[in-house]
Amino acid sequence: MSTSTTPARTRSSWSLKDLVLLVVLGVVFGFLYWVFVQAWTALSILMGPAGDLSQHFLAGSWLLVAPIAIAIVQRPFAGVIAEVLASVIEVVFLGSAVGPMLFIAAAIQGIGSEIPFAATRYRSYGWATYALSGLLGAGLVFFYSAFRSGWYGQDVFFLRLVIHLISGLVLGGLLAKVIVDNLAKTGVVDNFAIGRTRLGKANAR
Amino acid sequence: MTAATTSAFTASGSVLARRNPTVKLALLFVVSLAMVFVFDPVTPAVLYIVALATIQASTRLPVKAMALGHVPFVAFGLGIFLVNALSRPGQILWEAGPVRVTVEGLSVGGSLALRTLVIGILAIGFVASTDGVALMGSLHQHARLGSRVTYAVLAGYRMLQEMPREWQTIRQAHAVRARLRPDGTLPRGLSAYRRAAFALLVVSVRKGERMAQSLESRGLGLSPRTTWRKIPLNSTDWLMATTVLAVLGGILALSHILGFLEGYDALFS
Amino acid sequence: MPAEPALQLTDVSVEFPRRDSAVLRGVTLRLDPGEHLIVFGASGSGKSTLLQAITGVVPHTVLSTLTGSVSVNGTSTIDASVVELSRHIGVLSQDPSSGVCLPDVEQELALPLENRAVPPEQISARIDHALAAVGAAGLRQRQTDRLSGGEGQRVALAASLIAEPALLLLDEPTSMLDPAGLTAVRQAIDAATAAFGPSVVLVEHRLDDYAGPAGIAGLPERAVVLGDDGRVLADGDTAAVLAGSAGQLNARGCWLPLETELLAVTGRPGGLATPEVRAALRALALPREGDDLQAPRGLGMPNDDGASPAPRIGDTVLTARNVCVSRGAELKKRRRPRRTAETAPAILKHVNFELRRGEITALLGANGTGKTSLLLTLAGLLPPAEGSVAGARPGMVFQNPEHQFVAHSVVDEVRHGLPGDAGRLVKTVLDQHRLIHLADQSPFRLSGGEKRRLSVAAMLAHDRPSLLADEPTFGLDRRDTIATAAAFRQAAAAGRAIFFSSHDLRTVATLADRAVVVAEHTVIADGAIFDVLRDPDVLMRAGLRLPPLLDWLLAEFDSAPDIRRVLNGLDAAVSGATTAPQLSGSRV
Ligand SMILES: Nc1ncnc2c1ncn2[C@@H]1O[C@H](COP(=O)(O)OP(=O)(O)OP(=O)(O)O)[C@@H](O)[C@H]1O
Ligand SMILES: Nc1ncnc2c1ncn2[C@@H]1O[C@H](COP(=O)(O)OP(=O)(O)OP(=O)(O)O)[C@@H](O)[C@H]1O
Ligand SMILES: [Mg+2]
Ligand SMILES: [Mg+2]
Repeated sequence: MSTSTTPARTRSSWSLKDLVLLVVLGVVFGFLYWVFVQAWTALSILMGPAGDLSQHFLAGSWLLVAPIAIAIVQRPFAGVIAEVLASVIEVVFLGSAVGPMLFIAAAIQGIGSEIPFAATRYRSYGWATYALSGLLGAGLVFFYSAFRSGWYGQDVFFLRLVIHLISGLVLGGLLAKVIVDNLAKTGVVDNFAIGRTRLGKANAR
Repeated sequence: MTAATTSAFTASGSVLARRNPTVKLALLFVVSLAMVFVFDPVTPAVLYIVALATIQASTRLPVKAMALGHVPFVAFGLGIFLVNALSRPGQILWEAGPVRVTVEGLSVGGSLALRTLVIGILAIGFVASTDGVALMGSLHQHARLGSRVTYAVLAGYRMLQEMPREWQTIRQAHAVRARLRPDGTLPRGLSAYRRAAFALLVVSVRKGERMAQSLESRGLGLSPRTTWRKIPLNSTDWLMATTVLAVLGGILALSHILGFLEGYDALFS
Repeated sequence: MPAEPALQLTDVSVEFPRRDSAVLRGVTLRLDPGEHLIVFGASGSGKSTLLQAITGVVPHTVLSTLTGSVSVNGTSTIDASVVELSRHIGVLSQDPSSGVCLPDVEQELALPLENRAVPPEQISARIDHALAAVGAAGLRQRQTDRLSGGEGQRVALAASLIAEPALLLLDEPTSMLDPAGLTAVRQAIDAATAAFGPSVVLVEHRLDDYAGPAGIAGLPERAVVLGDDGRVLADGDTAAVLAGSAGQLNARGCWLPLETELLAVTGRPGGLATPEVRAALRALALPREGDDLQAPRGLGMPNDDGASPAPRIGDTVLTARNVCVSRGAELKKRRRPRRTAETAPAILKHVNFELRRGEITALLGANGTGKTSLLLTLAGLLPPAEGSVAGARPGMVFQNPEHQFVAHSVVDEVRHGLPGDAGRLVKTVLDQHRLIHLADQSPFRLSGGEKRRLSVAAMLAHDRPSLLADEPTFGLDRRDTIATAAAFRQAAAAGRAIFFSSHDLRTVATLADRAVVVAEHTVIADGAIFDVLRDPDVLMRAGLRLPPLLDWLLAEFDSAPDIRRVLNGLDAAVSGATTAPQLSGSRV
């Protein structure tokens, strides 16, 4: 007698592997942002008032971690949790200039990024889904930041919004897909949900 | 325990360092949240002075460290101040060509900049007096953070500690085999960084997977479990919490009575 | 009533997706409580996979298919989660860098106890005890990111023992350890056996060092041999298994205890104690036609056989002048204010030496003495706190192979950084390092030894005047160690200087012309390899211990070429070691 198992995924509780992956993504992107922000802060001081505006160009990159996490783990709340964990790493261990309000921003971003994937029940990972994810993530968090930083009532409000959305679309959406596809190619995420689906597709072909 | 390796400086052993990390985090959070609804410059200014004095007294940070810690917040605040001063419609104070400064702009900008400083000084006090590892332990014990999440974050923290070195090693491992440019120097462009960043991601994901295996093989997730090093949570912590909230409430109330306090409407007045 | 087996595998096969052939096939194995088992097998034969099947990682965590059944203490691994199984099992995984997960050593060791609900008041004492058992009592207050490779391995071992599991799975627990560490591991396992009597499954390469003077009797009493196709080739009493398949195992390139190896080569049992075996070894030392290629060439090396090889030691390519190696300099350069406050003491001071073309130099020293740091400094990757390093850009093989990987497949990895027309070269290199059958695999999906080979191969494909290698043979099986050594020799013959660190003195004696020994925060010896190995004072101060074979050879022969001929003669008995690999095809 022999039993064959490729264990079915239990949807009930998070596996440690998945949790650690979310943390790792948070850490890596937290670290890369940190390196990046070092350079950025100096630049934005030099740019004076334009520095405050210029933050919107890169706003999308803060969204990256959510779609990547969702695509690899493929289960509900992965995006939100990944964003929040990334912000915890940033605030608690790296010391961010925004302080703990970042947690809330992160959660809002995560929700925004996750909605398009949730709408496809975590099945579709095409360009459109990623693009929408970046757009929504950036959009939602924009209104929160605007409230927090008092952008309402400023002349440049709409300029801010447009730059913010484009950045979200490109850096927070499309770039995420590029990264995920490359990551999958290396084989390091084979043991996660993404590996199973890819394998399933390969076998079906 | 480890020093707060990622903070710019440490104040271990100070009065504030002995307080419970969860309580400190919660207070930081509450004050930051309260600040979001304040839009006049006077209230945050007062709060900032009070906070600065208290934190200086309770952490005894060297002045230089304190000043250094302020740099990002001041820079951030300055940016906000300038943008608001220049781009907010209202009563014109000064005008030259396209550049125009309004009273409302100065007021709101000042408020937002000072808010950044208040959050900044609290964050400095928090980071300087709190060990990240102890914080996670405390969140686990006092805030019901699950053991798996706690240790996942701690494992992440360890990776973070190693990351600057990991990054350097990867850059160098790549450089060792990279083809030199015609002038004999190493390729330095964006693509070299991109490659290294991607390798960092790959190596970390891989390492994370093995760490998860390692943690599971050590029984993380079994119940019941015990906690070896209890992070104390005692009456002094509650006293601190009450005092901080009372002072915050007091200043807000006083500011309101004296007519300084302004809320969200300030943006559209 | 017969006791419940500690471990029962019934007809277990394991397959990985994207691999054509199964890694384990029809493995059936039963281990009684308290029984100790050693697993022999070449690199890639599935030893680590077998251990993962026992912990439940295969198939629960790693995407794979397992048929058959595995049960641990009566619990089937199909039904139980990895965490649930961890109640019975202590694991030391093969990759030492991921064996340690938490920021502090203390926390790392407390975790298994906390998870098993050990009363807090007992924990501190048990941490002390476990650290002392692995010879790492001094590491308790350390942060884990500052541990050297070997120090980390000791902490990981302590963490796997501390909860006193019923079944211990040790995947190459000594691959990066110095002799003191090896003895400590040995003693820790013995102490554990005496204290709580776990069953042990051990995968180990450095068998002679591990077994110590007891020889085969010092190994676990039971042995299993895994073949290249993942089947169990032999299972039984260790001495009998080794005696029965000595020739076959040796030819396949498994590491074997000396006695067994000598049996395979000379056909006579009894090891070095037997006059016939010694006679056969002496016969190996007789010069033959055309083998002077392998003889050591060194400064001051006595060259007593008539046909003296042309001295191929050339000009200097890398010079270290009064170098002070420190980790502090690196941190300052990074301009991270938070760490500058802690002044890092110098790891090595007053380091002076030169690397010359055509010369192979070994770097020897105990764990944590600063070998890695020195190599990084020489490679220009860690700025020296004092002094200077001069020379052309060296190549470097890192201690952690994964750091080097940039490509998505093995073949692209080797091709990386080479000119476009390097196709032939790539193929030769892959062949030489027995990687051709893995050419299309992702570098990250390889076994431990395969990764090590790939990282060495990829660097050797580049033509650099000097090559620095940090433990280039750790985790390799014998066949691959020999192949790597051959590749180094070839590189040296082509005029490169080679400088490598290693804890494996036999490989060092086979390969190196010269040795640099670090201890006491400086270089304590630098000279012809056998001169250094013959100096009891240096050996003692550096904590080096000669394996029995070397000990005998050094006592028996005065001339370096004789010793080298014996060592090479023994290596020649491993098939595919020096010629093209014939076994590589078997898995494709
Ligand atoms: N997740 C995986 N996916 C695909 N192939 C794998 C995976 N894990 C291991 N393999 C392959 O299975 C074979 C056996 O690997 P394993 O790690 O068990 O070897 P090993 O006997 O421990 O070798 P070594 O002595 O080098 O550590 C190797 O050829 C390896 O490339
Ligand atoms: N990043 C670091 N920061 C501070 N100290 C370090 C760092 N890395 C290593 N060390 C310490 O420096 C010393 C030398 O470490 P190194 O890794 O060079 O040793 P090694 O000789 O290579 O040891 P092993 O044989 O165990 O690999 C050790 O005591 C180690 O704990
Ligand atoms: Mg292995
Ligand atoms: Mg080392």
